Amino acid sequence: MISLTDLIVLVPELFLTGAICVLLIADLFVTQQRRGLTHFLAIGILLLCIVLTLRPHSTGGLPAVQMAFGGMFVRDLLADLLKVSIYVTTAAVFIYAKPYLMARNMFHGEFYVLCLTAVLGAMFMCSAGNLLIVYLGLELLSLSSYALVALNRDSPLSSEAAIKYFVLGAIASGMLLYGASMIYGATGTLDLATIHAKAAAGYDRTLISFGLTFVVVGLAFKLGAAPFHTWMPDVYEGSPTAVTLFISSTPKIAAFGMLYRVLETGLSGLIADWRPMIAVLAFLSLALGNIVAIAQSNLKRMLAYSTVSHVGFLLLGVLPGTPEGYAAATFYAVTYAITSTAAFGLIVLLSRAGFEAEEIDDFKGLNQRSPWYALAMLMVMASQAGVPVWVGFFAKFQVLKAALQTPGMLWLALAGAVFTVIGAFYYLRVIKVMYFDESKSADRLVLPADMPFRFVLSLNGLALLGLGLFGGPLMALCLQAVSR
Amino acid sequence: MTINLLAFYAFAAAMIGAAIGVITMRNPVHSVLLLVLAFFSSACLWLLAHAEFLAIALILVYVGAVMVLFLFVVMMLDIKIAPLREGFARYLPVGIVVAAIMLFEMLTLIGLRRFSTVPPVADAALAAGLSNTEWLGRALFRDYLLPFEIAAMVLTVAIIAAVALTLRNRSNTRKQDPSKQVLVRKEDRLRVVQMPVSGKEPRA
Amino acid sequence: MIPLSHYLFLGAVLFCISVAGVFINRKNLIVLLMSIELMLLAVNMNFIAFSTYYGDVAGQLFVFFILTVAAAESAIGLAIIVALFRNRSTINVGEIDSMKG
Repeated sequence: MISLTDLIVLVPELFLTGAICVLLIADLFVTQQRRGLTHFLAIGILLLCIVLTLRPHSTGGLPAVQMAFGGMFVRDLLADLLKVSIYVTTAAVFIYAKPYLMARNMFHGEFYVLCLTAVLGAMFMCSAGNLLIVYLGLELLSLSSYALVALNRDSPLSSEAAIKYFVLGAIASGMLLYGASMIYGATGTLDLATIHAKAAAGYDRTLISFGLTFVVVGLAFKLGAAPFHTWMPDVYEGSPTAVTLFISSTPKIAAFGMLYRVLETGLSGLIADWRPMIAVLAFLSLALGNIVAIAQSNLKRMLAYSTVSHVGFLLLGVLPGTPEGYAAATFYAVTYAITSTAAFGLIVLLSRAGFEAEEIDDFKGLNQRSPWYALAMLMVMASQAGVPVWVGFFAKFQVLKAALQTPGMLWLALAGAVFTVIGAFYYLRVIKVMYFDESKSADRLVLPADMPFRFVLSLNGLALLGLGLFGGPLMALCLQAVSR
Repeated sequence: MTINLLAFYAFAAAMIGAAIGVITMRNPVHSVLLLVLAFFSSACLWLLAHAEFLAIALILVYVGAVMVLFLFVVMMLDIKIAPLREGFARYLPVGIVVAAIMLFEMLTLIGLRRFSTVPPVADAALAAGLSNTEWLGRALFRDYLLPFEIAAMVLTVAIIAAVALTLRNRSNTRKQDPSKQVLVRKEDRLRVVQMPVSGKEPRA
Repeated sequence: MIPLSHYLFLGAVLFCISVAGVFINRKNLIVLLMSIELMLLAVNMNFIAFSTYYGDVAGQLFVFFILTVAAAESAIGLAIIVALFRNRSTINVGEIDSMKG
């Protein structure tokens, strides 16, 4: 039975659910000229979510793990950390997306409602204590994302990307479910903590690892790890940039949360079985992502392949199965989402009505047109390439350090380092194009008049430097979140 | 061999046959109808496994709503079948080989022989003195309330998405606005024109 | 009573048929969607069999939720197909290849 204590644990989720319904209805009564109201309401909702999630921590004396609904919902420091980063990146996405949506006649309430339902799904994924909640949270996120990708319904490219995303996503869900059914068959329960206990007690080992294989394939699909990454470049390119902005950040944090709940909370006893699979996925992602990205001329596609390589790094952190490894992976997921938001924010900044700044050539001579934003792009690229001082270097360093401590994984850590060097090439190419090539158009850059946009984007760029220099506290927080 | 087992084999054969038909039929409409047959047979199989509520729900929700939606879309879209069949013959052998190998591996790994025993509990719901529906309902609304509410959000998202993706304001449709119709005055619609009388009377 | 192994066998066969369906019908989106439905049916078969075997309610409830979500999923999938058909006048995946790289 449910009680009030259950509901108190769920306050942020309950608030968001109610707020989504209010936003959906309120949007009906707003005329197109005053649609900005929906925009600010949506951002306000996310800010309130931050307050509601953080408030219990300010008073102190919070139990390390709070359970609700008989262990289905888990609220711990890791869940709250991931959730707050989800709110922050989504709020930034809303701010960046506004001028883009307005210029393309897509500035409707649905974008905000669907993004918020996706956030709700992501929150449940991060807090799942039961395979059923993992599945439902994942579907809430996925279904919202499919719809978001197809939102520009007059664009053939967009509906094409949506159908590819949908078909591969649905197959991945099927795989995940088949695996879940086998794990249920082996242990007779869906509760992740009980699965852990029963796996440790030596229940039907073969059947659990059989199910595990399917689960890992499903997770790899959703994360976008090679060789299950084929949907990512098309979806990144085909979606409206405002939507790419969203699906490149929030779902990655959520996918990491899900990975942690399933592999660590549920199946950490079978680490000997899933470590080789994760190692292969990580190696292929690192190799394929970095090498194929070199050949891309479209910036969105290039960033998609670079995401594949970042997923490889994330998996390197999961590999050891130690708190240090998970802490490094958490740090990587959070900072990657921030970096990716800034990268796509800059693409949105340069695009105007009827013009998408997606090609790398569109960035030619950006330095002459707008030194400040060229500098911001320089920071994003340097961070992704893993140049020291920026946060990407710090994150990669932590992950590699954790992977090095894993017995037998020295080769993978070395491969990670080698591919980072190869990957640096295509990031540096963007920097070269911005600073040393002549601009195609001589006119100065027309920047959107939206002051919050420019302010937040600048802040976002500086955060990459700030987190790189003073990332210690965040790293310590991640370590505290995953150690128990 | 009991009558239950016999029924199981019959429905299982029907289901596998229908499933193979779904993926090989030329005409999508036939595929949809065979999928209905597959769902129907599996509903019967679920009845044999004492999952009465889900068997009925599968027919009502799946066959009644989802499959009808499929049929509707297949018939609404004017699909040319021939190009869709391109590569069918090329992929068919690969598909069969992959499926056969996969099936062999899966069955070996599951280790069917270990599960050849019949369920130890005859019917958990009956043992608790409840009908299957009541058994599920009690668990659903007590212990599984949270997933139930999340499923509600999933359905809401489906509605929003389906409407957002397919509803469009057409400029060339003709609509009635009753309030405007009521407020119409005589002067707006009726114009009395003075015409000079022409000499000739129209023929009667 | 029917042994559990029969249901698991059926689930595995159905799953393989659906995977073959995805392989063979790469170009026909509607049949692709139906193959995915078959895949979910295979999963449901497993859950129901295990649920009966253990006398545990969780498996049947999982099936309840899979049915709900699958209905929502096909609604969105078909909506996307309709939108695609309006834009491209085709649902042939072979012709849908404007993005390369």
